[in-house]
Amino acid sequence: MTATSIMTAKTPAAGTDLLQIVHINEEIKRVVGVSVKINIMALNAIFLAKRAGTAALGFGVLSNELRVFSQDLRTCMESLNGLIHACVNQVSIGLKGIRTGRLLSEAARLAPQQPAVARILQDHKREIERRDQQLTILRRQLKGALEDVFQMVELGGVLAKSAKIEAAYGQSFAASLAQVSGEFDGVVEEIRGSLEALRRSAFFTGNRNNWRG
Amino acid sequence: MKTTKTIFQDGNHKWVAIVRDPEKPNYLIDTNEYLVTYGGKGLLLDPGGAEIFPSVFSALSADFDPTALAGIFASHQDPDVCSSLALWLDFNPAMRCYISWMWSSFVPHFGGNAETFVQIPDEGIDISLDGLSLKAIPAHYLHSSGNFNLYDKVAKVLFSGDVGAALLPPGMDGLFVENFDAHIRHAEGFHKRWMGSNEAKRRWCERVSQMDVDMLCPQHGAIYRGADVQRFISWFDELQVGVISA
Repeated sequence: MTATSIMTAKTPAAGTDLLQIVHINEEIKRVVGVSVKINIMALNAIFLAKRAGTAALGFGVLSNELRVFSQDLRTCMESLNGLIHACVNQVSIGLKGIRTGRLLSEAARLAPQQPAVARILQDHKREIERRDQQLTILRRQLKGALEDVFQMVELGGVLAKSAKIEAAYGQSFAASLAQVSGEFDGVVEEIRGSLEALRRSAFFTGNRNNWRG
Repeated sequence: MKTTKTIFQDGNHKWVAIVRDPEKPNYLIDTNEYLVTYGGKGLLLDPGGAEIFPSVFSALSADFDPTALAGIFASHQDPDVCSSLALWLDFNPAMRCYISWMWSSFVPHFGGNAETFVQIPDEGIDISLDGLSLKAIPAHYLHSSGNFNLYDKVAKVLFSGDVGAALLPPGMDGLFVENFDAHIRHAEGFHKRWMGSNEAKRRWCERVSQMDVDMLCPQHGAIYRGADVQRFISWFDELQVGVISA
């Protein structure tokens, strides 16, 4: 395989990485949207618990905790934007580098009497490798950050389940509280589903270590 | 791969046309690149798009040591003119790019940094190539709003960028215009549409007709030489430009 064909073969992997990052970003936006929804639901639940009085004191506390959870989740997901941006930046530079590498390889093939081109091509390959390493680090950081979010969501799931139990003690408000806690459980599951999808993203699990393929 | 043709030579003072790549894909417009050399230094005029860099580089290397390139002259900002800039700078980061002040913050999107660009003021400048004085001649609105030709008074060669360009059909690939009437048909549509100002055109014709020009070298198509230079200027002077039928 020539240097040119190697460079050309790398292109689809880099393009796929960019597409996968877009999917990850869309999923993150979806989770942020759901966290806003939890916040509003939690506010309503707090008002409902106040109306229910002493019978829903525990439910009120949990609703408040769920509200805090939704705000923390939102902050956490938004903080991933920086990592996503850095990944997009690295992959974009990589795509540009692949094109440059292809053209330099072609120039080296056509002008073998110019050793300087081969040297520049080597420098270029080293730079690509350096970028690869940076992207690998970013990939790991993003995955780690998503695992942290996953832990947070596990806690949110526990809060939602506890709210379900507390709803049973709500006396005349029990049915309303059960409905609200069921909705909490549903949206937390929705977030868990999104995070599971992110965990499975080929950006983290693909059969390659970097965008060069 | 492109080929090089020396169109002027006096000792180490040369004009080399880098032209006609038979392997170039048809979806890329054909371009002419020119190399001016003097005293062992070189200036590359409209180095071309990134996709044709390998072809231009290898053709140029066959004739000239590319490490001796002092700079690039970009007539304007178009991708077929200078999108290869980053690749040339990879090769020689010290290279300077002479371009209209208007494009000095646009073209860095193709490559280069603050050190790379020498901004040409609207009235033009003299560019020294190891002591040879080359003049950047204003050709604004022909077609770019910040546009220059490059004149070598000694060689009597004018690099005219898109002025004089012709979109030649397959098979009509001679380096020089041999039959002006047959050739100019392929330039007419281009000039009517691409050139935006009759006033700018008139000024250019006045200016260039007062210059001593043996060869008028466009970025596309064939080179006008001898009497065809004045013939072209007269034809262009008469042509109504900025025309679109839609």
